[in-house]
Amino acid sequence: MSTPVTDDDILARWRHEPAPLLPVLHAFHDRDGFLSEEAIRCVAKGLRIPLAELYGTVTFYHFFQRFPPGKAAPRVCDGPICALHGCADVLAALRKDGATPMPCAGRCDEPVPVLVGDRQRVADRDGRLEDRATPLPPPRPDGGAECVFARVREPGRATLAGYRAGGGYAGLQRAVRELTPAQVLDLIDASGLAGRGGAGFPTGRKWRAVAEAAGGPKTIVCNADEGEPGCFKDRVLLDHDPHAILEGMAIAARATGATRGFVYLRYEYPHTQGILERAIAEAEAAGLLGESILGTGFSFRVYVRRGAGAYICGEETSLLNSLEGKHPFPRNRPPFPVTHGFEDQPTAVNNVETLCSAGPILARGAEWYRGLGMGNHAGTKVISLSGDVRRPGNYEVPLGLPLATLLHGWAGGPLPGRKVQAVTMAGLSGGFLAGADLDVTLDEPSLRAKGSFLGAGGIMVFDDTRDMVEVAAQAMHFFAHESCGKCFPCRIGTQRLTERLERRAGPGDPATWRREVEDIGRTMKATSACGLGMAAPLVTESLLRYFGPQVEAHLRDRPSGGEAHPA
Amino acid sequence: MTETAPIPTKTQRASTLVLDGVEVPFQDGESLYQVAQRHRSEVPTLCYDPRLDAFGACRLCVVEVEGFRTPVASCTTRAAAGMKVRTRTDALEQHRKTLLELVASESRDSGDAHGKGTPGHVDPLRGYASQELATLTARYAVDGTRFAGAHSGRSHREDDNPFLLRDYDLCISCYRCVRVCAEREGDHAISVANRGFHTQITTEFGGKLLDSSCTFCGQCVQTCPTGALADRKAMRNAGQPGELTKTRTVCPYCGVGCSVDIVTRGERIVAVQPAMDGPANEGALCVKGQFAWDHVQHPERLKTPLVRDAAGRLVPASWDEALGRAAAGFAKALREHGDESIYAIASGRAPHESAYTIQKLIRAAAGTNFVDNCSRA
Ligand SMILES: Cc1cc2nc3c(=O)[nH]c(=O)nc-3n(C[C@H](O)[C@H](O)[C@H](O)COP(=O)(O)O)c2cc1C
Ligand code: SF4
Ligand code: SF4
Ligand code: SF4
Ligand code: FES
Repeated sequence: MSTPVTDDDILARWRHEPAPLLPVLHAFHDRDGFLSEEAIRCVAKGLRIPLAELYGTVTFYHFFQRFPPGKAAPRVCDGPICALHGCADVLAALRKDGATPMPCAGRCDEPVPVLVGDRQRVADRDGRLEDRATPLPPPRPDGGAECVFARVREPGRATLAGYRAGGGYAGLQRAVRELTPAQVLDLIDASGLAGRGGAGFPTGRKWRAVAEAAGGPKTIVCNADEGEPGCFKDRVLLDHDPHAILEGMAIAARATGATRGFVYLRYEYPHTQGILERAIAEAEAAGLLGESILGTGFSFRVYVRRGAGAYICGEETSLLNSLEGKHPFPRNRPPFPVTHGFEDQPTAVNNVETLCSAGPILARGAEWYRGLGMGNHAGTKVISLSGDVRRPGNYEVPLGLPLATLLHGWAGGPLPGRKVQAVTMAGLSGGFLAGADLDVTLDEPSLRAKGSFLGAGGIMVFDDTRDMVEVAAQAMHFFAHESCGKCFPCRIGTQRLTERLERRAGPGDPATWRREVEDIGRTMKATSACGLGMAAPLVTESLLRYFGPQVEAHLRDRPSGGEAHPA
Repeated sequence: MTETAPIPTKTQRASTLVLDGVEVPFQDGESLYQVAQRHRSEVPTLCYDPRLDAFGACRLCVVEVEGFRTPVASCTTRAAAGMKVRTRTDALEQHRKTLLELVASESRDSGDAHGKGTPGHVDPLRGYASQELATLTARYAVDGTRFAGAHSGRSHREDDNPFLLRDYDLCISCYRCVRVCAEREGDHAISVANRGFHTQITTEFGGKLLDSSCTFCGQCVQTCPTGALADRKAMRNAGQPGELTKTRTVCPYCGVGCSVDIVTRGERIVAVQPAMDGPANEGALCVKGQFAWDHVQHPERLKTPLVRDAAGRLVPASWDEALGRAAAGFAKALREHGDESIYAIASGRAPHESAYTIQKLIRAAAGTNFVDNCSRA
């Protein structure tokens, strides 16, 4: 029998580690199954956080349970794709075990994921659960070259030996042994690599800003929060190619002068924490991370920190507050993280996919990477494709690829007898594309011209049997559930738009309905404090653009629920 | 700039930007809101309190800056040389109206008589800043009927502390209360629970203020722009006829010298509010200065002096008799025990004039410095 873990054990283990709050809370949550009042008091005292503040912060994260049955109760994904795959049936079947829904858990290529304790399992409609490894991406159908997926399908890739057998860590070696930090920055600049986490900011410019910023220690954060519904691309890289992430982080550290790094991992990928920690231990033992990397004076330590259920914690400044143990509202910018990031020191926050591209770029050169794109577009982007297509999955596409080629060529098109009615872009954040606007290429200029954006690359497909108003209502419900509550337009706007789509409140007359929804959306887009509130109204905007008649029918057929109930 | 402009120092460099078409100077580190406010361009706010770090929640203060794709919150945006800023375009005013309509839609009616019909109306005795929301909904002609839906926030009626009414049905989640408690008081008694539309101001574990680290300074009440946090003592006088008058004075309770405004209606004191421009306190008060004024109008307050009769009982007396008895007593003590035998302590509940008189009396009449005040002694 193992000795029970005491409160003091937990505090002693973490108190002097960087970013200790999340691991301490998880340790209590894991030990007790929920966060009791005593546990929260103990953490507040041990980490010297005001009690009321810590209590408020704990309630922010939807996976932190305060009462039994706590974390043992199943959480069933009710995201947009799982809604098409009978998640309601799964939920009903698991109700007896205390199951509740959770937002998209990043397995839309293999629905329906169910989180049970520390395992993400896959359910069939009857609620039978199975453990399955994260699906590998299908081979690129046209045989073209890939960057981050080029070797991900090789067996043993997640081990150091497997990774090195495929040429892994050659990029880091080059960055450390052959190039100066300035040359690394020039190379990344020249490659045209831009952020793959949503905002598309040029990676070279971000790293250069950190390199040039005064102060320290500097930090690299790998954003592995992957909270966007319909996105499940980082998960493949995290589970099957962890060393590629670590190599990318080390290259970023070399370029910027950072000495510490964090992987901020979403709660929904519990199995991934062990994979990353094993990879870190292997890399440290081999002198590829940690003290004096590759025998040089360059040192860089990486820590894994697990989130606790909050989409907003993928937003980089909210993520930093979360790491620091603060209430995870986004920060006001400027100043930006590149000068005032983790603990107010210069910090580069990068997406998993962005970081995974760095190793191959260092090893194979900027020209090679640029050339992977089509036309003027540099490089590739992983698209998480899900929903009503024959072959959902992650596809690494050359930027500039026509959407139709991906949908109909690579993924096999819609199911027999159906037609593609609409797709989402950027997960949910880019709203819908439909009709003639499906004739776009997958790159930011083309998509922005249609009022949308590529973002993190989640595309969900809805065929002509789907009720798009219903889909929009679920999408807005997600944004309302995930709004942090800091700013008025998003906090109230997402709620009001959800109520109007779900017909829980709001006018029944189509013209008035449209005016209210458009006014709320316009103000949210213009005045929200972060990307969540700015993006959410793209859902209603595009719904009205493409599906006006369906909205009118919806208003006619579903009378409003009348008097709204208090929240 | 004129030739007589002061030479900029390293810490205070003056530059200029263009505000609504006019070139205006600003100091390094100023926000666009501060610059705009100084030049009387009436940018509305709800989450702003000049004593707190700018937070950027209400977004009413958005302005357009040339070269920026979307409006920026002027409270959190630093002024920079050469910026071209517009504070009053039609688009901005429309956003502000929509934001106010959204805010008006989330609260219930206060039930107060004052200002009925205006969304956000509350009795001014709720607190210093309590009229901010109602003032803006009136200014923007928000009628409160648009964007109907669920209400946010739930009043904490079971919190029976004597000082603070926690009427969160009216709360608009500006977090000024939480921020003033943390930033200005350092008490961290309250925080934000949950997220999105379900955010709720809370103490640890949702309990009562008396069981928290709250010191009942009332700062949260006085910064609340909706009256969701209200002064319970003042609210006993709510809804009655008659104008409110404010009289500036200094709190008598201790040596800090916080400025307060005594709020009266006719002859009655109905509230004490902090003076935001008080040089010693900048709007801060403690529980005594804020809430301990009941004694002034207490029905059991002495209205005549009392002296002891032969049996040692206290009986009413005339001022002449009482003063005569006191003078005789002091004189005897001085005669028999010397001037170090007298020590006076003035009550913190006494007015300053009395406190002054007591020290004068002791110093001049007894010739000693043995005098103090109860809040210090
Ligand atoms: C609401 C919101 C959620 C986000 N979630 C994620 C996320 O889960 N993963 C991610 O990499 N970036 C996310 N981002 C973008 C990050 O703020 C940031 O731009 C990104 O991590 C930077 O990395 P990159 O430059 O490599 O893309 C999110 C942004 C917003 C506004
Ligand atoms: S836009 Fe939404 S998520 Fe972002 S700060 Fe505002 S309330 Fe929070
Ligand atoms: S009365 Fe003072 S200490 Fe108590 S919650 Fe309000 S600001 Fe904080
Ligand atoms: S109680 Fe008042 S000050 Fe506090 S958040 Fe609500 S409206 Fe703002
Ligand atoms: S895993 Fe369920 S919708 Fe994405």
